[in-house]
Amino acid sequence: MEIIKTDILIIGGGSSGLWAAKGAKEQDPSLEVLIVDKSYPDWGGLMSLSGGDLEVCLQGDSPEKWVKDFVYYWDGLCEQDVMEELWQQSHGIFEEYQRLGCTYLKDNEGNYRYVHQRSLDTVKLFPVQTKGTGGKNMRKAMISEMDRLGVKRMGRVEITEILKDVHSGENRTAGAVGFNYVTGQRILFEAQCVILAAGIASWKPSYNQNTASGEGPVLAFRAGAQLQNFEFLHIWNVPKYFEWEGQTVLMPLGAKFVNKNGETFMDRYSPKFGANTDPHYLTRGMALETLAGNAPIHLDLSAIPEKDYPIIKPKAGRQLIHYEKLVEEGIDFFRDEFEWIPVVQLSNGAVKTGRNGESGVDGLYIAGRLRSLDPGVYMGGFALMTTAVTGRQAGRAAADFISGHDRVTADTAYAEKSLAGTFEIVGKEGISPSEILEDLQKIIAPYDVSILKTGEGLTRARLQLEELRSEKLSRMTAPDPHYLLKAEEVKSIADVTEYYLTSALFRTDSRAGHYRADYPEHYDDWLCWVVLKNVAGKPVPEKRTVPIEMYKHSVERYYSDNFNM
Amino acid sequence: MIRSIDKELCIGCGSCVDNCPLDTLRMDEKGKAYIAYPEDCHTCYLCEQACPVGAVYVHPFKKQFPSAFG
Repeated sequence: MEIIKTDILIIGGGSSGLWAAKGAKEQDPSLEVLIVDKSYPDWGGLMSLSGGDLEVCLQGDSPEKWVKDFVYYWDGLCEQDVMEELWQQSHGIFEEYQRLGCTYLKDNEGNYRYVHQRSLDTVKLFPVQTKGTGGKNMRKAMISEMDRLGVKRMGRVEITEILKDVHSGENRTAGAVGFNYVTGQRILFEAQCVILAAGIASWKPSYNQNTASGEGPVLAFRAGAQLQNFEFLHIWNVPKYFEWEGQTVLMPLGAKFVNKNGETFMDRYSPKFGANTDPHYLTRGMALETLAGNAPIHLDLSAIPEKDYPIIKPKAGRQLIHYEKLVEEGIDFFRDEFEWIPVVQLSNGAVKTGRNGESGVDGLYIAGRLRSLDPGVYMGGFALMTTAVTGRQAGRAAADFISGHDRVTADTAYAEKSLAGTFEIVGKEGISPSEILEDLQKIIAPYDVSILKTGEGLTRARLQLEELRSEKLSRMTAPDPHYLLKAEEVKSIADVTEYYLTSALFRTDSRAGHYRADYPEHYDDWLCWVVLKNVAGKPVPEKRTVPIEMYKHSVERYYSDNFNM
Repeated sequence: MIRSIDKELCIGCGSCVDNCPLDTLRMDEKGKAYIAYPEDCHTCYLCEQACPVGAVYVHPFKKQFPSAFG
């Protein structure tokens, strides 16, 4: 076992991990900061694959009004103080990205162009100057910052456990253990602070979403943190056979989903918004149309004016390659009809945190999407901005923590034992991780489990998960360290599936990105978050009431009231 | 999904392997890249973009997720 010592260990090298490193080093340049990532070093996480468009509350715009929009859009489930601070800081992040060379679209008068999101009054998305270059440019900017600040980076490492400081007996982290899945090398990372920036979880739906597979929430939960928002999923409207980046700007500009009869069905489900709304509601509409026999569904782009094509049509990079390859296959995204379907993309569940990403475990901070901000309804550019702000917050807080606390050492014997347990399945006869992953996808995919949820569907899924655990998960094997990574991912996805089913069954209420067909209204006694506590290793749900009396905005309007489905 | 790596064209530089976020590709004993774990590809094109000689081909279609409607 290799032992690596650092002051701050950052798990995850995407937007939030990079901003955490920047925040920590700018706070205290003498600190040693190491980023470990599951992918190759410096790939930049899902940020590098993103479109790069950002939500920004510009100077002169009102953060308070932005928060009011979110209170409405999220049906009240908004940590208002956290969000106000976040939008206050967003302009500084926007300026910093531009200082580092990223560029955003402007009109002939030199004003930033923007697109309103989800028919809301205030929230705005600022598109990158050249569509297809955004994520790549952000990655380049942030990696050059890592070089300038002397941040160390390491790739191809899967972290398997957050370590506690056993010597003091306090509830404090002392690092983490993991392994390099190419070489099989086992590693102990001794650290004074750990920042978990590993993203949330997906069921590996392909294209852009297959890297974050639940290790983040599972590591935090096992270390003693509480979880939140696990009843919410990201269900996305996607082309059946391929993917497309940047849909969130299409609807505000005039794109419409149409059923097989040529009907813009969302006009029926929401006379106020029509097609220009959140994917959570669009996919519910799609599911209802499919069940009514009105599929296939396609996307009609004919109403988007020519002047807006610079915002939607890729001009460079991997998005252009993708577009041109589809043309080679006989599909012109902007001209042809093809089928769209609703698909489970991500769990929205994450860690319940304090204002600077405090996890409840001393020295363990949470950054990025692993902070549970949004309840399953999502607008473009939200994560790119919030991961940057929360990353920087966590980095600064970790640096401050170290300056005020005694140093800790990790328990080497415990680390060796933990890793030996992980490696037990290597080389044994058994079932492949990919077979179990497919079983987990089949459990989560049905519409009555993920879109139009029912107690019956969720209970059935929970029984299927229990059966899978007892009959297959216990027999999972890994022929080599690569498959050991896959096995660790699948174990995390199974845990996330359990967190989801537990929370979705618990919330007998429909709100934001959670729709229970058997409880179709939002009820006043459910103006609460669902928190999962670790009781003897099992997730136990409880309500945490939204403290409206402490907040600026009361909950008077509900975005979900605009839909009659 | 990644479909092929042309062994004739491959110059063994390892760029595609180094740029795969999901460790789908590896180098063989002759120093050429090959698709070691095809089921892990998520169609990001980073390998194809990294290849200096055009030896890598990624097809734009994705692996199908189970249907929500059975």
